[in-house]
Amino acid sequence: MEIDTETTLKIARLSRIKITDAESDDIQKDLNRIVEFVKKLGEIDISGVSEFNFGETYLKDMREDSIIINDNTDDVLKNTKNKNQDFFTVPKIVE
Amino acid sequence: MNEVNLTELGIKDSRDLLKRKQISATELTKAYIQNIEESSKLNAFIEKTFDKALIQASQADKIIGTESEKSLCGIPVGIKDLFCCKGVKTQAASDILDNFVPPYESTVTQKLWNEQAIMLGKLNMDEFAMGSSNETSTYGPAINPWRSSNCNDFLTPGGSSGGSSAAVAANLCAGATGTDTGGSIRQPAAFTGTVGLKPTYGRCSRWGIIAFASSFDQAGPITKNVTDNAIMLKAMSGFDPLDSTSAKIEVPDYEKELGKDIKGLRVGIAKEYSLQKGDSAAKKKLEQTILLLKNMGVELVDVSLPHTEFALPTYYVLAPAEASSNLARYDGVRYGHRAKLDTNDSILELYEKTRSEGFGTEVKRRILIGTYVLSSGYYDAYYKRAQKVRNLIKNDFDKVFKKVDLILTPTTPTAAFPLGSKGTQDPVEMYMNDIFTVPANLAGIPALSLPVGLDESGLPLGIQLIGDYWQEPLLLNTAFNLENALAFENRPKNWWA
Repeated sequence: MEIDTETTLKIARLSRIKITDAESDDIQKDLNRIVEFVKKLGEIDISGVSEFNFGETYLKDMREDSIIINDNTDDVLKNTKNKNQDFFTVPKIVE
Repeated sequence: MNEVNLTELGIKDSRDLLKRKQISATELTKAYIQNIEESSKLNAFIEKTFDKALIQASQADKIIGTESEKSLCGIPVGIKDLFCCKGVKTQAASDILDNFVPPYESTVTQKLWNEQAIMLGKLNMDEFAMGSSNETSTYGPAINPWRSSNCNDFLTPGGSSGGSSAAVAANLCAGATGTDTGGSIRQPAAFTGTVGLKPTYGRCSRWGIIAFASSFDQAGPITKNVTDNAIMLKAMSGFDPLDSTSAKIEVPDYEKELGKDIKGLRVGIAKEYSLQKGDSAAKKKLEQTILLLKNMGVELVDVSLPHTEFALPTYYVLAPAEASSNLARYDGVRYGHRAKLDTNDSILELYEKTRSEGFGTEVKRRILIGTYVLSSGYYDAYYKRAQKVRNLIKNDFDKVFKKVDLILTPTTPTAAFPLGSKGTQDPVEMYMNDIFTVPANLAGIPALSLPVGLDESGLPLGIQLIGDYWQEPLLLNTAFNLENALAFENRPKNWWA
């Protein structure tokens, strides 16, 4: 098994996803199935091969780096109950 | 116009009748609304915007016949729930976006409204477009209007754009938007007897489309026929200053390209896209298509894309990696679901509990695997290696397109499968669905699925045409010629109303 319990919990922590001990076995099994599947990539000789890029068609028409003001604060804040005036509220983060 | 069922017409035929004032946009919209109201069993529409639709229809009726009339004036369409629509609940079929109402409109949908299309509502899909059967949707799956002649099992309409394909096949809208990251337009189109096109990467703006894997995601149309597809693609395409990966390349009038002779065209058959013994119906349909093309004077050429077997593993490293990064924004702070916290919970618990409750199993799986392949110690072995293999796959296509104009493959190995029958024990089983569709996304080239007939149990099958960059006109015209020769007119029997 490539991914052990400790690694599973570490990835979950990095992903900011809480997983319970009861879930972790199944998740670990699934992740290992996927890793087993993608291991096939190890069979190819990639020496001298460069990484994929889309070439010159793209990213050549970047827009001006200018400020665009959208006066939609009310619409944005309608999407949360967790607000105070024009701010989002979260649990205390500074002691 | 009582003698025709208006909702069977599709985009072009409706447009022509509207133009001649033989029907009104209001009449047409009401006919679709009635169909949608009677189709709750299909679970295709998850948010209905009928009030908006009727206002748009009444405006269209005033415009039709005037100089202000645009290409989709009065045509009712459905929108995949991945497109943000201003003031309309948009959740990407996920709980984490619970009751999210975007304060802005996606570029592609704005273009459709600019062309005076009518919005009927939002369509079901796999959560964040991650799935091949519609079963990862928080709303439950959309149901395929087609049923096997052998059993009454509910079948998948495909994924992730399954609500779109089901709605078009069941006459709930004249056309629908879809998005395709690894086959999410073409596989649902194949499973429902509809036409689905994934354009060249950069043809349609991604702005306002909820991101899954940004270097793969492309919007495209799902329609009843090729002409409708050409009309809708033109309306959706074009450069957008808000998406720097959209290309500043002129949008052709795709409809005008249709009907041209394809004699002398060179079409490649790739030996790596071979079917298994059990897939005899798909094999037969492919052979029939080859024969039709030969009769039209098309030259069939054997070609090889040697790295095809690595396409799925490459995709299942890179797409989850991009997804893990894109979906990091869902933190419960500004919109959507926020977990109920205990008194002493910190901001970290806010993130972890919200994301654990808000994301479904498949989405979590992909975020976790994506985080793994990007994490220190594994980045080179998985992510970087996959980026190089992606290049080899693109080079395969570049070489083949020096010899041929198009490549012909099956869209899927089999017809639609029963809901609940795949991937329940092993997620990789579901991933195998994308085996013929993923390579085009890896290279960023366009591909189209066209219905070619029914299998032995009366279910539709699709063939796929893959083209070189920006060859949508050739794809559509070849599909148009084939469509005429195939004369596929089967529609599902209405069992749901």
